[in-house]
Order: sequence, then C-alpha cells, then structure tokens
Amino acid sequence: MQSLARSSRGFGPWRIPRRALVGVATIGVALLLWWLATSGLRLLNPLRLPSPQEVWAAFTQISSGQGYGGATLWQHAAQSLWLVAKGFTVAVITGVPLGLLMGWSRRAETLINPIFLLLRPIPALAWIPLAIVWFGLGDTGKVFVIWLTAFVPSVINAFTGVRNVDPVLIAAARTQGASTAQVIRHVVIPGAMPLIFTGLRLSLQASWTTLVAAELVGAFFGLGRVLNVAGQDIFPGMILVGMAAVAVCGAVTTWLLGRVERRVLAWRPAV
Amino acid sequence: MSEIVFEGVTRRFPLPKGGDFLAIDRIDLTIEEKEFVAIVGPSGCGKTTLMRMAAGLDFPTDGRVLVGGKEVKGPGPERAVVFQQFALLPWKTVRENIGFGLMCKGTPKAEAEAAIARYVDLMGLTGHEDSFPHQLSGGMQQRVAIARAYVMQPAALLMDEPFGALDAQTRIVMQEELVRLARRNPRTVIFITHAVDEAIYLADRVVVMGRKPGRIIETIDIRPLREDGGWEALPIEEVMDTPDFTHMRSRIWKLLKAREQERPAVPAPTPAPVPAK
Repeated sequence: MQSLARSSRGFGPWRIPRRALVGVATIGVALLLWWLATSGLRLLNPLRLPSPQEVWAAFTQISSGQGYGGATLWQHAAQSLWLVAKGFTVAVITGVPLGLLMGWSRRAETLINPIFLLLRPIPALAWIPLAIVWFGLGDTGKVFVIWLTAFVPSVINAFTGVRNVDPVLIAAARTQGASTAQVIRHVVIPGAMPLIFTGLRLSLQASWTTLVAAELVGAFFGLGRVLNVAGQDIFPGMILVGMAAVAVCGAVTTWLLGRVERRVLAWRPAV
Repeated sequence: MSEIVFEGVTRRFPLPKGGDFLAIDRIDLTIEEKEFVAIVGPSGCGKTTLMRMAAGLDFPTDGRVLVGGKEVKGPGPERAVVFQQFALLPWKTVRENIGFGLMCKGTPKAEAEAAIARYVDLMGLTGHEDSFPHQLSGGMQQRVAIARAYVMQPAALLMDEPFGALDAQTRIVMQEELVRLARRNPRTVIFITHAVDEAIYLADRVVVMGRKPGRIIETIDIRPLREDGGWEALPIEEVMDTPDFTHMRSRIWKLLKAREQERPAVPAPTPAPVPAK
C-alpha cells in the first residue's frame, strides 16, 4: 500500500505539494483573520475569543513547571490518555468477544440481546452521576463510564461482522475438515475483523467524548479538569489550549489504532 | 470405495408462508468409483442441492445419500468441494489456502509443504504462492480452489459450477486442464453445470435434470462417443465441432426444452459475471 502511495506521487508530481500548499495557506489565512479580529483590529471582546498571543501565553504557562489546575499540561494529558487507554481496553476486551459470541450463537444472542436493548438507549453521559455515587471522583468511575460507552460499538460491530461472514467460506472450511474452533479462529474472526476495527474506531471516539465529559463533572487531574477550571476562571486562552490538547490526544490515539488496523488487515485490497 | 449413491432422495424446503417447496423428488442415482458425472439442468432444478447433500452441507428430507457405503452425516475432507464463488479465504495466501485442509488435519509441516508445492506446480501457480486471492484473476483463484480440493487426496470431488464465474477463454483453458488433471488423478466427480457443452466435454455420463419438481429426465453415457471419436487427443474446440458432439448437444437441449415450456430451456452458456469483492 505504501509503495502505491509513493508511486501515485510520482505520477502526479503536482497533486500532493499543491494540496499541502493550499492547506497551509488556508490555515495561515485563518490565523491572520483570528489575529486581526482579536488583537489586530480589536473587533471581538478578548473574554469571548482570546488573541493568538494569549493562547500562546496560556500554553507556555501550562506546559512549563508553573502548570495550571494543579499540574502541567503533560501530566493532565498523561492522566487523560491513561484513563482512555484503560477504559477503551477494558471495553474492547469485553465487548469484542461478547459481540463475536452473539454473532456466532443465536442462543447467546437471544439470551443477551434483551439486556443490551434495555441499556443501550441510556446515553453513557447519563451514567456519570451514578458512577460518581458508586465510585467517587477518582479514576474508577471514569473508567467505568468510558467502558459503558465504548463497549456498545465494539459489541455491535463484532456481532455484525460475524453475521456478515460469507456462509460459503464457512461451508468451504467445513468441507476441508475444519473443526468449529478452527472455523472460528481461521474464518469467522478474520472475516469479522474489518467491522471489528470499525467498532474500535467508534469506541475510541466515544471514549474521548465520555472522558472529557466525566472530567468536566469532577476530576483532580486531566484535560477535562483544565477545561473546567479555565471555564470557572474565565480564562479563554487556557480553554482553547485544553480543547487543542484534547484534539491532539484524540488524533494521536486514532492514528495509532489506524496503524494497528493497517497491519492486521494487510490482506485487504488497497482501495 | 468411494461411489456416491442417492437412494430415493427427496428434499423439501419449508416456505415462509407455510407449506413447503418440493426441490428434489425421489432421485435415484449411482456414481461409480472414479466416474466423472456431470449434472445439467435449468436453474431451480435442484442440482446444487444434490451436490450439497453429497458434501454434507444439506440433508435429504427423505431417502439417503451414501458415499463409500456410508451415509453422509456432515462435511468431511474425503469429499472436497469446489464452489462457483471460489470461496478462498481472503486473509490467507495462496499457499495457506491450499494448505488449509492439511493444517486442519494436523499434517506434519514438511509433508504439507511438499504436497502444496506439487499442486502449485500442477495448477500453474508457481510464483503466486505468497499472493492473496484478491491479487489473482478469477481463473487463477479457481486454480487455487481446485488445488485446494486435490491436495486433500479426496475420494470424491464435488464441483458446483466451478467455471461459471469465469470468462469464456479462461473457462476453456480450465476445462482442458481439468480433463488433464482428472486423467492423471482419477476421482469420483460430481460436476454441476448449466453449460451443456462443458458437461459433454468433461463427463463420462451426463445427468439431465428438470424442475418443478427437480428430477432426473435422462442419464446419457458419453464414454462411447469419446472413445470412438478419440476426443482425448483433440483440442477442445475441435471436439466441440465433431458431429457426434453437436448431435449430443442438440439431443440434450431438446430434452431440456421438452420439459420446459414456460421458459427458455437453458440459459446460454455464457459465464455469469464475477461478483467483485
């Protein structure tokens, strides 16, 4: 796949550089407009939208030893990443096998699906107060809520993935003497894998949404805590830093998951 | 001991609105050991169902299917199946696909490798061992599927329109290769097709089926024609031009047509389009 991307660059030498240039130019113009609207022409109240300089100042403050909200940016980010990693991993470890089981066995589906249908309409964020009552403001409650949100897409997509496996492939494996365990391992799970990864991507997005919400409600550290404290302090520069940090962390984890996906699904035809 | 016997086989499929559909009505058919039998018939005549029952992927409502004297209870590696849609595992390489059955059986690695190498060579797949199926043409994919069937040294080979998804040229090449392979490695074969030409060219006997309900109209022995005409020595296009061949073809077409007033007898032997995957 990579070699293909390279060769396509070779065929159209203008494409990528021009696109990149336009992208950089767009961002440059946006930054210029931002600067003009705030400190350049003072069109906007700095308490509504801070100037680029203020955001930079907030960033240097929180990323230096001085910190903000009780820790540096790196400590907050590490805390948030750690909670997302824990909640997401637990959700995947529990959700994917459950989805596979429900997809494979009609009996398991009949048994489990009612509970699932009952709990699914409750937005995960609505669990936050209960999680605080049960687990307090510490990490456990947040991991619990992330697990609840990230669990659902993992289950549903693993389930659908199994149901979408071509029955001819299963029949073919059986005629070659494959046992049920061999069919599951070599046919069903790899066949469901593309949709499993779709589920993981959705789960990861959901993990970040839930984490920020949970930290906004109450936390000692974390990027949500930065946003919350900055909101209370009416410190718009810091709010923007917090938002950007959440975006960067989310993008990095998504990118990592994408790399794993490309490796696991290397057999798929390049699109 | 690998003859395939259908004894009074009937298959009904329940209909969603109640009642049932009689797909196959009391079929008796014996395929001798190492005999190549082609089954032709229009869509819906139950020919695929018949093959699936020999494979152990479907079961008769009444009657029995015996392979090598034993009633078929489920699929097994001694009855290899070649599917129209190739049915290769997309996440396994050519080598892994061919070796899948051997792996399931727990064949020692060196032995499996040697067997795989033999069929890679025999089916002209050398150089593609580490390719994934989607990197191969339809014809190459079906070669992998045939190699995968032969590598198990099955007593019986069950082929369900194996060339139905191939283009016309590839199809002819594959038909010739199958004849070559079948001569070298004789097996009991059930070959399902709706292409009359293909059936006559490949088979020892052609079973002509009709539908509503699915049943056998006639069984025709092709061997005398083949031996008298010296077909084995001729290229396929010349065989298909001999008077014997064309007479046989029109005879089978008439059989199919006579039972099929409401619809054109048989779809023309054009290949179905390959579902892009």
